[in-house]
Amino acid sequence: MFAYIVRRMFQSVIVLLVVGLVAFSMFRFVGDPIDNMLGQERTQADIDRLRTELGLDQPFVVQYAKFLRGAVQGNFGVSYRQGRPVSTIIAERAPATLELAFVSGFLAITMGIALGVFTAIRRQGIAANVIMTVSLIGVSLPTFLIGILLIYVFSVELDLLPSFGRGETVMIGNWSTGFLTASGLKALILPAITLGLYQMTLIMRLVRSEMLEVLRADYVRFARARGLSDRVINFRHALKNTLVPVITITGLQLGSIIAFAIITETVFQWPGVGLLFINAIQFVDIPVMAAYLMLISVMFVTINLIVDLLYYAIDPRLRVDARAT
Amino acid sequence: MTLRSSAIGLALLIAGAAQAEEFKWASTTDPQTMDPHAVNSAPVLGFLNNVYEGLVRRGKDMRVEPALAVSWEPIGDGDGWRFNLREGVTFHDGSEFNAQDVLFSYERASGEAADTRSWFAPVSAVNVVDDYTVDFMMTAPNPLFPSSIANWMIMDQGWAEANEAAVPDKETGNFATLNANGTGAFQVTAREPGLRTVLEPFDGWWDTAEHNISSAEFTPIQNPATAVAALLSGDVGMINPVPIQDVSRLQGSDDVEVIQGIEARVIMLGFNHEADALKYTDDAGKPNPFQDARVRQAIAQAVNVDAILATIMRGNAEAASQLVSPAMSGYSRAHADRPTYDVEAAKALLAEAGYGDGFSFGLKCPNDRYLNDEAVCQAVVSMLAQIGITAELDAMPVRNYWPELREDNYDMYLLGWSPGTFDAEHPVRFLVATPNEEKKLGSWNFGGFSNARVDELLPMIQSELDADKRQAMLDEVTGIIQDEHVYVPMYVQPLVWGTRSNVDLTQRPDNFFLLRWVTIN
Repeated sequence: MFAYIVRRMFQSVIVLLVVGLVAFSMFRFVGDPIDNMLGQERTQADIDRLRTELGLDQPFVVQYAKFLRGAVQGNFGVSYRQGRPVSTIIAERAPATLELAFVSGFLAITMGIALGVFTAIRRQGIAANVIMTVSLIGVSLPTFLIGILLIYVFSVELDLLPSFGRGETVMIGNWSTGFLTASGLKALILPAITLGLYQMTLIMRLVRSEMLEVLRADYVRFARARGLSDRVINFRHALKNTLVPVITITGLQLGSIIAFAIITETVFQWPGVGLLFINAIQFVDIPVMAAYLMLISVMFVTINLIVDLLYYAIDPRLRVDARAT
Repeated sequence: MTLRSSAIGLALLIAGAAQAEEFKWASTTDPQTMDPHAVNSAPVLGFLNNVYEGLVRRGKDMRVEPALAVSWEPIGDGDGWRFNLREGVTFHDGSEFNAQDVLFSYERASGEAADTRSWFAPVSAVNVVDDYTVDFMMTAPNPLFPSSIANWMIMDQGWAEANEAAVPDKETGNFATLNANGTGAFQVTAREPGLRTVLEPFDGWWDTAEHNISSAEFTPIQNPATAVAALLSGDVGMINPVPIQDVSRLQGSDDVEVIQGIEARVIMLGFNHEADALKYTDDAGKPNPFQDARVRQAIAQAVNVDAILATIMRGNAEAASQLVSPAMSGYSRAHADRPTYDVEAAKALLAEAGYGDGFSFGLKCPNDRYLNDEAVCQAVVSMLAQIGITAELDAMPVRNYWPELREDNYDMYLLGWSPGTFDAEHPVRFLVATPNEEKKLGSWNFGGFSNARVDELLPMIQSELDADKRQAMLDEVTGIIQDEHVYVPMYVQPLVWGTRSNVDLTQRPDNFFLLRWVTIN
């Protein structure tokens, strides 16, 4: 067991290092930050001076090594655009993204399971068919378009919800939350739906097909023969057995909700890390891009590591394998 | 009595509160710093003009008017300028403004770390005469100096030194990057970079306020569709810019208005004058046709600017004949005509130059720098096809674009230029003068155009005190640029702002949005 964990951790670190190396080799194709940092009346001497100061004249491997040296000590450098430490900026922006991800994840799971169960039980009903058809739209329309549509309907035409931003926030320690004000909660609705819609339809379809499978199983037939009520059969016996694959998928999707909040955040001008990343690309703010990419890859690698360890715990065959080698 | 007066006081308070309004606005770019000397870019200077002030400022019509200086006069025969400072002005933190702050701000804004250094190239020394008189000595006569420093903003020496911000720091930032302490009509009360900046009126402002804003909040919104939706839903009172394709839709709405004007920026095509050979397409390696002025003229006559303005700009821009718009000082009225659009004449010119069979080359173009820039380049490509030359378009984000131009990776390119001094001398200095690193000339003359007469006239224009003689020389330079077709100026970029119908404001050609002229009805 211990050897397995150590081996997996070692592999994770290598993955992280490679991701960083690839990222740094790509940065020079993103563009040149110098022109954004100097005004129209700059001279070639100014350009050369700033480039040397930022270390951009060095090969990317050297720049990467410098970044890693700092990152190990928790220092991700200073943003070219804002002139402030990247770690401070990310810490400021993270609550917005995490709250959005949490709400849309919650929406996706609850609504997804509820609708999935409903469409499985009322397989032939009109409502179930309508939901299935609409869900097709949810899977196939790009997030960008859904966001714009929602803004157009609910902000411009109906004037019910704000079109952008996070509303008023309250600081609790270092954490800025939008949960405690009316405008903050209202501002959450549209982005959370936009971000969670795809995951919701995914979970719904998964639950539905698993549920249909389970409802045909022998133990459900026996339960029916015993005269148990539909409610008990559907929710106590069938749903429980449906949830195993759903939990696996949801766990993996959690990472992508956070990582792919970028588009939703751009459409709603949501002040999270995704928007920060998009702005960093536009400005070629290399320290911010590097820190964000590393953070996201740490997150994915950690989630995968946990999943692997869970499999190890659950699946006895892996343990047998480990002992044999 | 006490009851009555407090009732009146309450009534006044309510009346005051009803009049003063909260205002929100959005633009695509967040000013990257609150330090007026760290970055010389329009978003930063435009925003900070609400907070800081210079010795002089520009009015609604761009004319220079007194601000922190009440008057100024030349010293001797072009030796320099004397500025008489305004008395009784205080900074937002309450400290008093005097000549030491001017000297300090000069040193801060002209130092090695400042991005505004080039404004002070003609200054040889700054002398404090007394608390409210400062002399700026010049290396050569400089009639335009007072109007060239309208964006040079004065910072309080005591405040900057106490907060260890005596030198601007662009790379790692300092106190002045996030905080501001000017003498302007508004003070910064909250600053969250990239998210929002809140301004409130400064009670101790020396001038009389024309606005009725009680607080103003700026949010950068990058996505144009989101900005338009925010304006339509009333979440913001003003957006800049409005995407060209949304103009007619917004004009159809009763709740919003579109305010259009002409910006100072001229969009033009540039050539590689120096390269002996073409660099792109199958013709790479063949002699560079753009070294021939007749070929450049053929391009000028083949591009149908009116069609570009009618379709791509939807009638929102004006054709340009020279490197500055008619609103700028020094504009040459003698050269107000563009080359006529004439396909046959263009073909004849090509044939005369020996390119009757056409040729192909690479056109570089940004796709996120100017309004509809890529679409304009595509139109140019199809128009050039009509005279038998094939342009291969390579459009890219601006962050990749400037490095490509600097490395001479183009045959022809698109450029927009907004003269920082609002004078015709500015583009000559940056775009036409022979590149000279030491004298800081021609730093944007990527193509390496060089003309001895232009180089000779430029310093004379810079130091000429007589307005008529100066204009005559500018006319001559404009004539040379036109005859040589150094660039093909196409149009002056439009300014398109959107406001709620109840917002009154002033749009200046420099695209600066000044809160002190905003009234909300």
